[in-house]
Amino acid sequence: MTNYVEEEIYLQSKSKIQDYESVLGRSYIEELRMLGERLSGKVIQTVNSTYVGGGVAEILSHMVPLFNQLGVDVRWNVIQGTPEFFDVTKKFHNAIHGKDEKVFPEELSLFLEVSQRNMNEMNFFGDILFIHDPQPVALIAKRKEIGRKWVWRCHIDMSNPNPKVWDFLRGFVLQYDATIFSSPNFAQQLSVPQFLVPPAIDPLSDKNRELSRDTIDSVLNKYGLDGDKPMIVQISRFDYLKDPIGVIAAFERVKKNIDCQLVLAGGTATDDPESEKVISEVRERAAGNPDIHILLIPPGSDIEVNALQRAAAVVMQKSLKEGFALTVSEALWKRKPVVASAVGGIPLQIRHRFTGLLCHSIDGAVYALRQLLANPEYAGWLGENGREHVKHNFLITRELRDYLLLFLSLGSAEDVIYL
Amino acid sequence: MGQWIQWLIDNWLNVTIPVIAFLATYVVSLWMRRVAYRAFDRWTERLRWEGSKVVVAATRSPFLHSFLLLGAYIAIQVSSLSPEGKILGGRIVASLFILLLGWVAISVSEKLIKLYMSRIEAPQPPTTLAVNVVRITIIVLGVLILLDIWGAPTTPIILVLAAVVFIAGLALRDVIPNLLSGAQVALGEQIKVGDFIKLESGESGHVTAINWRNTQIKTLEGNLVLIPNIQLVRTTVTNFGHPVKKATYPFRFYTRLHLKELTGIKASNLRELVDILKGVPDSVVYYHTHHFLEEHHYLTPEPANDFALWVSDALGDEVLGERLASVDAFDFPTVGALKMWLVEVIEDYLAKNPDGKKAPEGQEFHFIRSRGVILSTPYTAHDLREFVEVLKKVTVDIIYFHMFESRLRLQKGTNDFSIWIKDCLGEDKLADKIARLDPYCYSLDSLRSTIIQLIEERM
Repeated sequence: MTNYVEEEIYLQSKSKIQDYESVLGRSYIEELRMLGERLSGKVIQTVNSTYVGGGVAEILSHMVPLFNQLGVDVRWNVIQGTPEFFDVTKKFHNAIHGKDEKVFPEELSLFLEVSQRNMNEMNFFGDILFIHDPQPVALIAKRKEIGRKWVWRCHIDMSNPNPKVWDFLRGFVLQYDATIFSSPNFAQQLSVPQFLVPPAIDPLSDKNRELSRDTIDSVLNKYGLDGDKPMIVQISRFDYLKDPIGVIAAFERVKKNIDCQLVLAGGTATDDPESEKVISEVRERAAGNPDIHILLIPPGSDIEVNALQRAAAVVMQKSLKEGFALTVSEALWKRKPVVASAVGGIPLQIRHRFTGLLCHSIDGAVYALRQLLANPEYAGWLGENGREHVKHNFLITRELRDYLLLFLSLGSAEDVIYL
Repeated sequence: MGQWIQWLIDNWLNVTIPVIAFLATYVVSLWMRRVAYRAFDRWTERLRWEGSKVVVAATRSPFLHSFLLLGAYIAIQVSSLSPEGKILGGRIVASLFILLLGWVAISVSEKLIKLYMSRIEAPQPPTTLAVNVVRITIIVLGVLILLDIWGAPTTPIILVLAAVVFIAGLALRDVIPNLLSGAQVALGEQIKVGDFIKLESGESGHVTAINWRNTQIKTLEGNLVLIPNIQLVRTTVTNFGHPVKKATYPFRFYTRLHLKELTGIKASNLRELVDILKGVPDSVVYYHTHHFLEEHHYLTPEPANDFALWVSDALGDEVLGERLASVDAFDFPTVGALKMWLVEVIEDYLAKNPDGKKAPEGQEFHFIRSRGVILSTPYTAHDLREFVEVLKKVTVDIIYFHMFESRLRLQKGTNDFSIWIKDCLGEDKLADKIARLDPYCYSLDSLRSTIIQLIEERM
C-alpha cells in the first residue's frame, strides 16, 4: 500500500491559501480558517484510485495541500488494483454515464475480490473516510468493523445511469453517511443524504491566471490566428457529444453578416476510437474555409487554452450532453460572454440572460452569437456578471468550504446547525 | 601682623580693584538672575512647557555660581598677578566653570529624559540607557574641553570616540528611529491611548499603549497589533478620536453558510411541482426563494426565485412566472407562510389552466434543501463606530445572516442589527430606519453600503 511519504510527491498545488486573499478578500479566507479550526484534531482520509491522471487526481493534488494549510489534517491514499480490475471499473464509469455496458458476474466477483484485498491491506486511520468515485466504493464494507464516518463523492454524470450497474453500486452507496454529487440532475432517490458540491476552477492555475498581452499574442501567432478578427472559441475534446459540426454550422450562418473566425481547440481521447473519426469529419466540414481553425492541442497545454479563451470575443460550449463543463466557468472567469447549451451542469454556471446565453439548438446558438458579436457592451456586461458569478460560486475555495461544512455537519439532520 | 598691615597699605589698590570687580559681578549676577528667570517664566507660561520647572530648579543656584566664577576670573585678570599666575588662575576658574556646566547639563537632561520617557511608557531599561548615554556624552565633552583648556592633545581621543559613536549607531539603527518616532507621536499628542485609529494599510483598532518602540492597538477581533512607531509616522493614519457611546451589551457577529442537500425529488410539470411543494420542509422553500440572494448578490436587479424562473424558462409560462416573481418575501413573517402563498397562487392558476405544459427532458425542477451552518466570528462591536468598521470588512454571508436569516427563518420580527441598536444603544430612530429597509430590494453589497451610510449619518 502507498504510504504518506509517497503521497507528498503528488501534491502539486503551487498556490498558498493566502494567495487567494487577493482574489476573494481576506475575510473569505479567514472564514475558511475558522471552519478549518473547528476540524482540528480530526483526520480526513481521502481515497481514490490514482495519484496521477484523470480529473479526480488533479483536483485532490490541488485541494489536499490547501486543506492542510487551513489546519485540516487531510491525507491521501489510493487503492491498488490489477489492469483487469480497472477494466471493470472503467465499465462502471461508462455505465454510470448511461452507456449500455455489459458487466458479467465474474467481473463483479473480481471487483469485490480486489476491493476485499484493499480492505485487508489498507491502513484506515481517518476519522472521516472520504471516498471518490466507484473504484473504491466497496471499501465501505470495512465500516462494520471500524465504524467512523464515511462520505462518497461521485464526480461522474449520474443523470442517466445504467440501471443494472447502478443497482449493484447502490448497495454500497447506501451504507455511507453522506454522498456528494456535482449537479442537481445527478441526484438519485437514496435514503442517505445527498449533497450538491459542484466542481470548481483554480483561479491561480496556469489555465486561469492572468496572462500578458505578449503571451496571448505569441499563442495566436503559433496557431496562425488573426488577433484583430473577432474570434469564436470552443475548447473541448473532439467528440460527437460536444457537437463540433453544429458549432461550425452556427458559425457559417453568423459569418454571413459578421466578419469573424472560429477556433475549435481540443485533444482526442486515447481510449476513444471515435475521436479520430470525429476530427476527420470536422476537418472535412471545415475544408475550404480559412476562418475555421481546427487546433489539436496536447494535454497539459494550459497556457495555450488560457490564451485562446482570453483572445476570444465569444466562447461556446454547444454540447449535446455534458457532465459539468468547467470550460464554461473558465471562460466566465476571464470575463468572456458565453453561449452554451442548457445541458448537464451548464445551467448552474449560466443564468440565461444574466451571466451568459443558453441555447437549445443551432438556431438558438446563431441568434445568441449575433447578439453578442453585434453588441459588445451587452457582451461585456454578461462577461462581468459571469466573472462575479464564478468568483462567488465556482472557485476552488468555495469547493473547499463546502467540503469543510460537510465534514463538520456529518451526523446532523437539522435544518440549522450551530458550530 | 604689622607686616601684613604695611603690605595692605602699600598694595591697597592692587587688592581693592579685584575685590570690587568680584563684588560688582556678584551684584550684577543677582540682578541678572532675577530679570532672566522672570523673562524665562513668562516665555514658558506662554509655551505651557512642562519641562520649564525642571530647568528652573536645576539652574537657579548654578546660575549664581557661574557668575561667582566669572567674578573670580575678572578679579584675576585685573589683579597684579604675574602673567603666568593669571593664566594658571584663568585655567582653574575655566575648569571649575566647565565642571559646573557639565553638572547642570547632566541634571537637566536626566530630569527631562525621565519626564518624556514616562510619557511614552518606556520601561526602565531604555530610560536608564538614555540617561547613561546623555551622561557619558556630557562627561566626555567636558573632559575634552578640560584637556583643551590645559593644553593636552585631544585629536586621538576624538577619533576613538567617533568610532565608538559610529558602532553604537549601527547597533541601535532599528531602535533609534522608533524611539524618536515614539517621542514624536507622544509629544505631538495627535494619537492618544483610547483613540480609534485606522492605518492606510487597513489595520484598525483602539490604541491601548504607546511605548518606546511601537504603538499597540486592539483590533475589533480582539487581536493586539503592534505597529512600529516609525511606520505610524510614515503612513496615513485616520484618527476617529475617542469611542462613542458604548452599548450595554456588545454585538457579536455570526455568519451563516449553507450546504445544498439534494432531495432527489423532481417535478416536470406544474401539478407535480405544487403537489411536491406542499409536502417539502420549509428549508426547501427557503432554498429556492433565497439562494439567489447569495449566489447572485452582485446583480442588480437580481433574478427572481427558482419557482418563477422555472415556470417561465422551462414551462414557457410567462404569466404565472411573472406572478410568482412578484412575491415580496419581506411581507411574510415565516417561510411557512411564503410556502402557503406559493401553493395558493399555483393552485389557483391550475384551476383556470388545467392543461399545464411539461418541462423538456433534462430541465425538470429539482428540489434542494438548504442546510444552514451558523458559526460565531471573532468580530464584536461595542459601539457604532466599531460596528461600522466590522460591517465594512466582513463577508456578505454575515450581512445575510443578520438581515435575512434571523428575520425570516428564525422568525424574528425584525433584524438583528436593529434590535441591538435599539436595545443596547438606545438609538431608536436609527434602528427603525434599518428595520424599514426591504433587504430583498438590494444586492447584499448595496444593503451593506446603505446600512453603513445610515449609521455614519447618525454619527
